[in-house]
This record gives sequence, structure tokens and C-alpha cells, in this order.
Amino acid sequence: MPYLAPEIILTALAIFLLLAEAYGFLSARYVGLWALAGVVVSIAVTLGTPVGPEPAFYWADPTASGAGNGLYIWDATARFYKFFFLVTTGLVLWMSLESATQPVASNAQPIRAEFYVLPLFVCAGLCLLASAADFMVLFVSLELVTITFYILVAYQRDSSTALEAGVKYLILGGLATAFLVMGIAYVAGFAGSTSFNAIYAAYAAHGKLPIAVALGLLMILVGFGFKIASVPFHLWAPDVYHGAPTPITAFLSVGSKAGGFIVLVRVLDMAFGPNAYSTWGPALSAVAAVSLVLGNFAALHQRNIKRMLAYSGVGHSGFLLMAVLSGGDTSIKSGLAEAGTTAVAVYLATYLLASLTAFLVITIVSRTQDDESIRSYAGLWQRSPILAGALAASLVSLAGIPPFAGFIGKLGAFTVALQFHHYSLFFIAAISAVAGLYYYLGVVKVMFWSEPLEVTPIEVSIPTQVVLSILIALLVATGLCMEVFSWLIR
Amino acid sequence: MNYLHLLLLLIPALAIAAIVLRACPKTTATVATAANFLLSVVIFFLYVQHQAANPGGSLMKPFDFDAPWAALPGLPTIHLHFAIDGLNLPLIILATTVSLAAILVSPADCKRNREFFSYLLLMSLGGIGAFLSFDLFFFYIFHEFALIPTFLLIGIWGPQNRSYAAMQITLYLTLGSLLLLGGLVLLVLSVPAEVRTWDMLLLQQNLLVQLKDVSARGDVYTHFIFAYPLLLIGFGILISLFPFHSWAPAGYAAAPPGAAMLHAGVLKKFGVYGLLRIAAPLIHLPTTSINDPVYVSWAGWAGMWQIILILLLVGNILYIGFVTIAQKELQTMLGYSSVMHMGYLFLGLVAFNQVGLCGVVLLMVAHGLSAALLFGLAGEIQQRTGENRMDKLGGLATQAPMLATFFLIGSMASIGLPGLANFSGELLIFMGGFQTYPSVTFLAVWGVVISGIYQLRAVAKIFYGPKPAPLPNAPEVTDLTFTARLPYILLIAALFLFGMAPQILLQIVQPSISKLLGGV
Repeated sequence: MPYLAPEIILTALAIFLLLAEAYGFLSARYVGLWALAGVVVSIAVTLGTPVGPEPAFYWADPTASGAGNGLYIWDATARFYKFFFLVTTGLVLWMSLESATQPVASNAQPIRAEFYVLPLFVCAGLCLLASAADFMVLFVSLELVTITFYILVAYQRDSSTALEAGVKYLILGGLATAFLVMGIAYVAGFAGSTSFNAIYAAYAAHGKLPIAVALGLLMILVGFGFKIASVPFHLWAPDVYHGAPTPITAFLSVGSKAGGFIVLVRVLDMAFGPNAYSTWGPALSAVAAVSLVLGNFAALHQRNIKRMLAYSGVGHSGFLLMAVLSGGDTSIKSGLAEAGTTAVAVYLATYLLASLTAFLVITIVSRTQDDESIRSYAGLWQRSPILAGALAASLVSLAGIPPFAGFIGKLGAFTVALQFHHYSLFFIAAISAVAGLYYYLGVVKVMFWSEPLEVTPIEVSIPTQVVLSILIALLVATGLCMEVFSWLIR
Repeated sequence: MNYLHLLLLLIPALAIAAIVLRACPKTTATVATAANFLLSVVIFFLYVQHQAANPGGSLMKPFDFDAPWAALPGLPTIHLHFAIDGLNLPLIILATTVSLAAILVSPADCKRNREFFSYLLLMSLGGIGAFLSFDLFFFYIFHEFALIPTFLLIGIWGPQNRSYAAMQITLYLTLGSLLLLGGLVLLVLSVPAEVRTWDMLLLQQNLLVQLKDVSARGDVYTHFIFAYPLLLIGFGILISLFPFHSWAPAGYAAAPPGAAMLHAGVLKKFGVYGLLRIAAPLIHLPTTSINDPVYVSWAGWAGMWQIILILLLVGNILYIGFVTIAQKELQTMLGYSSVMHMGYLFLGLVAFNQVGLCGVVLLMVAHGLSAALLFGLAGEIQQRTGENRMDKLGGLATQAPMLATFFLIGSMASIGLPGLANFSGELLIFMGGFQTYPSVTFLAVWGVVISGIYQLRAVAKIFYGPKPAPLPNAPEVTDLTFTARLPYILLIAALFLFGMAPQILLQIVQPSISKLLGGV
């Protein structure tokens, strides 16, 4: 079963590492290195597994008839997102290893083995999510991800901000799960099946959804809205990003958001098709517009860099939703136009590169929560050119300025919005992007020409320097040679 | 086929790499820009030779590099397409000349000089690349390339009010670029999927075919309705079209002289060039030839935007002209004056005839040279006296006669006196304007009087009149040394050359303009 390789490798390795550490065979650092190795192997296996021109379905119900019947789907989209989640996990593990080498504050928890093992579970859940073709698989894998995150977010359990983050994430996450289950129940109850293709077959011919199914879909969208942190379901994001350990913040901002988007795309594309857009299309564009404006303008006032990135992440959800809004064209079979799904994938890929680079720098520079103010980045260019360069490149990329990768993502989202005649949304997005540039450049300004608070150079280990250089190079290279993305998605 | 013009991009790129690898910053930058300048002159002669050998405009361009680059999902394949024709060659010569001058005026020992010269070279690279690109994608990308270096140059080395100005100019220009990007994408999407392309000239042909073909019409009209305001406002912001101009005076006043020279002289011309190349031919469609109500109503929509542009350009010339007169700081005044002169370029664009458009190209070059000259000299004055308020200056002509002479020549060029390049450009634009819009041109001509007022007042205040009481410990004001004169002599020589013999440029511009007009 090569298609299931990453999930199997990661889960088995995680269980083995937990036991090995419990019996004292491995120290925490080696657990981290083994976890990293497992992720690298999984990446190799995933990229090596061939993808057919048509999606392949596995775990089919033998009693049901018809093609496309199965719980698990393997296609180019699934492979791309698995690769995406594995790379994210790899970099998060690297950040954790990096933060383990830093001195521990008196009231802080040292990094233990479970801090490396739990991300493997999250990653396995996310990989499974990328292949979900049925609401049951979707729900179970999403819960694996979310519950593991509850533990990781509150990892610094002696810190009040971490506890606040943990409680907030738990309660709001539980609420979102409740909405999701309720929505699935409505849809499954009416359609008689939880399989995406069966639901599509039940309602595609009608041209519109029955009111209960439409309500169910709305509740499902609310559940996903929490995952992708779009307005008005974003309230948890700033506090949780602030309180969680920086590697986990990075994981949330990239992995969890991408997980939300892959299921959103799958559900809209495979399960509901054009009906979803005729029913909730205007609501989705309203959510996109409000996320763009509120996310970007709220980030203007943040003093803490992680809170700033949390709000900017809300804004990025708005840009991504612009690309998701490419549906409703009844001339094509499925829900989303190909341009839309690719634009979402490309945007997420550029967001991954930029966001994780930024968080890697933050992990190194901001060792304690008191150092997370933007002010403490003053004069970083003098203290460590590579850290300042990497952070500047990633922030400018997030702002969408060429030649960095982020521009390609923005271009894709804008193109889709214009192609589908969302002109006013494009205009809102342009204004929001300018607001975004203001706070991203604000950090660049602080790093490059504000008076430094302290002048001690920051030491960066050689391997991390190599990783940072690769990330900067990738930010520029993928911005200029965007063919890479087409190759990955194909 | 000749790929010599690719060196224009390669040389600055290699120079930046060398500076990063610890070569002496100013020397490297000077050598690179000087090489680029000589190269552009060589290319000019080769181009003229080629044109003489192929009268009537051959199909092949002498310098043309075209290779498929990459494809974005849902959009046509992007090409690396760098070529030279009569429209961009004058601007490339302008860019290399101003780049050389901007590097020469910059002090070799400024703080963080390695970064400083790298950013200046990046700006120059962005300008040259944008003019060379015939592919809309890279045309846009290269201009954006220069945005972050401009931000850093103003922010780190600006003489006054730098943080605010750096942020303002970057945000404003980004807004313009994003709107422009939307307009360009809409243009690409307007034609059916099978003929979509990023190639400027090809896209324009396809669009014109599409617009006139009543039967085959997809999204073109819906997209076009939005493409017009986006392109006009997008380019308008980048050119500092009234009322989107406020970034220019503040930004140029706060920029180090080299950056102000490059931006006002070269990068601001990007928008005019884009309007000339891409947008103007789409506004001026014949309304009589096609008898179709949808087409006629669309042509009316295009005409409405033209009327808006005419109103705004009068604002540029007269309103901004009066604002310029009221300025007290030298650099701010020069910034407003460069905003004002953009009005003439717009006039030439809306006139849209052979004479007017030739004048636009000529005035772009002339204004680039004269603006660079004046910004450079303003930097020298501020560096020598520590003062940029014109009231506090005076009598500098006795202390720095050479500086005064150069500034006077720059002012005369800016006013548009015969013998200097600006005159020929403005004359052609007014001649073209009188053919199509006589009343607007009549108003615009008063701009010459206005620029005479503020420019001569500035000369009088700074260089003549009573000398203010010197500050204690103020250093003695010195004249330009011999090496410091070189960049200004270069710019002045070019101004005189193109002023006395505008046909040097016109001989290559004219055939290209005819082709542009012929396409419509």
C-alpha cells in the first residue's frame, strides 16, 4: 500500500519513539532526529509513488455500486498536500530542535521527547485528511489533528498565556467540532451516505440543495472556517498563536490552515459542486472580504510579532478564499475550476515557505515570550545579517512583492477572482494587500534602520544557517521559476 | 539575431554579486554602469545601421531574445522576451545615462556603502529590465524589483523625514502596481483562452481583433469595463497623475540624491511607457467603422476615460504648477515640478497622433535627464549648506559658480528653452495636441510660463540675492571639484545633444510610432 506509506511510517515511528524514550533507549534530542529522519523518508516515498491520470479510490464498500466509491482517494492533489504537510512537519521539527538548544527560562518546560513525537501524529492526521473522500475519514483525521494540537498548544503549562491559549483553543475547537459533526449529520441523514461522491450524485442533478442539506453545509463551512481562521471564526488565533511555543505556532499557522483548505476544497469540489456556490457563494465571498479587511487592518496595531502574524494569517485566509470562490460555473463538471484548485495549492505553497522561514527566525531571535515584541527586532541586520535577511525576505514574500514566491500566490488568487468576475473583491484585496505591506515593512524598517536595543551578535549554528539559506534561495527561485508548482501539482 | 542587449541586464547583476562578494562598491558600480552606458550607445548605432539597411521597417528586430519561461495554471505561458525597438531604445539610453550619473554623484564613503550601491544597481536593473521586456509579466516584475531597494534607500540614507517618506512612497506605488496588475491580468483574460498571451504586441493585436469582431466575443466587454479604470489609475499612480501624485514630492525630498535621480528620471517613465505601449492604442479605437450598438457603447466608455484623463492632465499642469510655485523647500519643489511635467506627457498620449507621440518619447528622455540633473544638484547644495529651504539660501553663485551654472542650465531645460532637449519634446507635444484638442493645449501651454516662474525664482533665491548670515562653525561652501562635475556634464551634454539634434532620436522613434498607430 504505497499510497498509505506516510501515514503508516509516521504512526509506527511515533509509537516506537514514545516507547523507546519511555524505556530510556533514546534521549529527547535523538527522538527529534529520528522523527526528522522519518519525515524525510516519508517525503521520498510520497514523491516516489506514481499518480494516475484519474483519482484512485481505496477502501471501497463492496456492497455499493458505482465508480468513485471509497473512503480514501489518491490523486495529484492528495500527493501535493501530503508533501506539503510533511515538509511543514520537517521544518517544525527543525525549529523544535533549534529551540531545545536554547537556555530554558526558570518557569518554562524544557523540550521533552513528546514535543517531537506529537507533531508526527498531527502530520499523520493531516496526511490522511488530504486523502479523505468521505466525511467519516475527514472527521476522524481532523480530530486526530485537533486533539494533538490541544496538547501541544498548552505545552508550557506553567505559563499563564500558554494556559489561556490552551483553554481558548480547546473550547472554541470543541465548538467548531460540534458544528462540523452536526453539519455532517444533517447532510448524511438526508443524502443517505457520508461519501463525497454519493452526496454529489444525490444532489447534482437537482440544481439546488434541500434546505436541511444547505443548513448542514453551512455548519460544515463554519467548522472549516475555524480551521482556516477566517473572520468571524478567527477569535482564537491571536491568543493561541501568542501563547503556544513558537514551533507549534508555525505548525498551526501553516499545517492547520492548509488542512482546513484541503478539506474545504475537497468538500466543495467533490461533494457539493456548483450547488454549494449557488447556495452559499455570496456568504463565502463576504467571509473572504471581511477576512481580508479585518485581518490586515487589525495586524497594523500589533506590537507582538506572533500576534501580528496571526492577524496577517487571517488576511491570508481571505486571499485563499478568493481562489476557492472559483466555483459555480455549471459548464464544468465539478465544483471548482482547475485554476481555482491550483491557485489555492500554489498560494499555500508560497505561504508555507515564507511563513515557516519567518517562524524559524522568530524561534531563534525570540527565546522567551518577553522578546516577542517587534521592538526587540531593532537592529537585527547588524546583529545577524542572515536572520534579518531571511525574515525580511519572508515578510516581503508574505506581502506579495516580486521576485519573491508570495507574488505568484497573490497573482493566482487575483487572476481567479478577476476571471470569475469578483471585481469588487479584487479591489478590496488590493487595498488589504497594501495595508499588509505596511506592517510587514514596519518590521523590515525596525530591523534595518532602527537603533538596536542591544548589539550582541546572535550566533546561528551552521546547519541552521544552511537551512535558512536554502529557504531564502527557494523564496526567490520559486518566485521566478513558478514552473516548480505546476510540476508538484501535476 | 543578436543578443548583445542581454548584457545590459547581466552587467548590473554581476556587479551586485561582486559587491556582495567584497569588491570595492563605488568602483565596481561605476565600472558596471559606465560599461552599460557605452553598451547602450553601441546598441544605438547598431540599431540605426540595421534600420538604414532595412528601410520601410523590416519584420525582424535586430535585438530580439525570446524563450518560453514558465506557465502559471490558468494563464498563458510566460516568455523571457527582451527586445529593442524604436520606442524602448531611447528609454534604455536614458536609463543607462542616468544610472551612471546617479552612481557618480553618490559618495563612495557613505555609511553601509556596500548595501547602498547594491540597491542603486538593483533600481537601475529594474528600470532597464522593465523597458527591455516585451512580455507583460516581466515588464511588471522588473518594475516591482526596484520597489524594495527604493524603500531601503530612502529609509536608511534619506536626509530628512525618511521613515515616513519611505513608507508612503512604497505603499502608494504598491497600490498603483496592484491595480495595474489587475488591469494587465484582465487584458490577458479578455481574449479567448486559445489566443491568450503575455506578449505585449501580440496581445494588443488579439485584443483589437477581438474588439472589432462582433461575432466572437466572450468576456471581453465585461473585463474591459474594469480594465480601463484599473490601467488608468494603476499607471496614473506610478506616473503621479493628479490627484494621485502626493507620494512624489515627499518621497523625492526624502530620498538620497542618487535614488531620487533614478526614480524621477527613470522608474517614473515606466508608467508613461506602459500607457504608450499598452493602454493608449486601446482607448483610441475608430468609432465609425463598425456599426454595432455594443461596440459603439463600449467606444463611448473608452472615450469617457479619455475625457477624465484630459481633465486630470490639466490639473497636473495648472493646479500642480501653482502648487509648485508655493513651495519653500528645493527638493519638494523639484518633486512637484516633475509631477507637473507629467501633464505634458499625458497630453501627448491623448493627442495620439504621430507628432504628439514622438514628442512623448522625446520628452520622456529629456525630462528624465533634466530631473536627474536638478535632483543631483539639489543634493550637492544640501550637502554643502546643510539647508534645503530656499529662503535660507542665497548668493551661492559667488561661492560655487560651477554649481550655479549647471543648475541654471538644468532650470532652462526644465522650463523648455530652445536648444535643450525638453524644448523639442514639448514643442512636438503641443503641435500634436493642437491637432486634436486645441483648447486643452491652449491651457497646457501656460504651464511653460508657470515653470518659468518657479524655476527662475529658485535660481534667483539660491544663487543670487543677499547671502544669509552664516551659521557658527558652518564650513565654507566649496564649488564642485573636477570629478564631481563629470556626472552633470554627462547629463548636460545629453540634454544639449538631443535639444540641438532631436532627429538623432526621432529617426528611430518615428517608424515605431507609425507602426503603433498603424495597428489601430
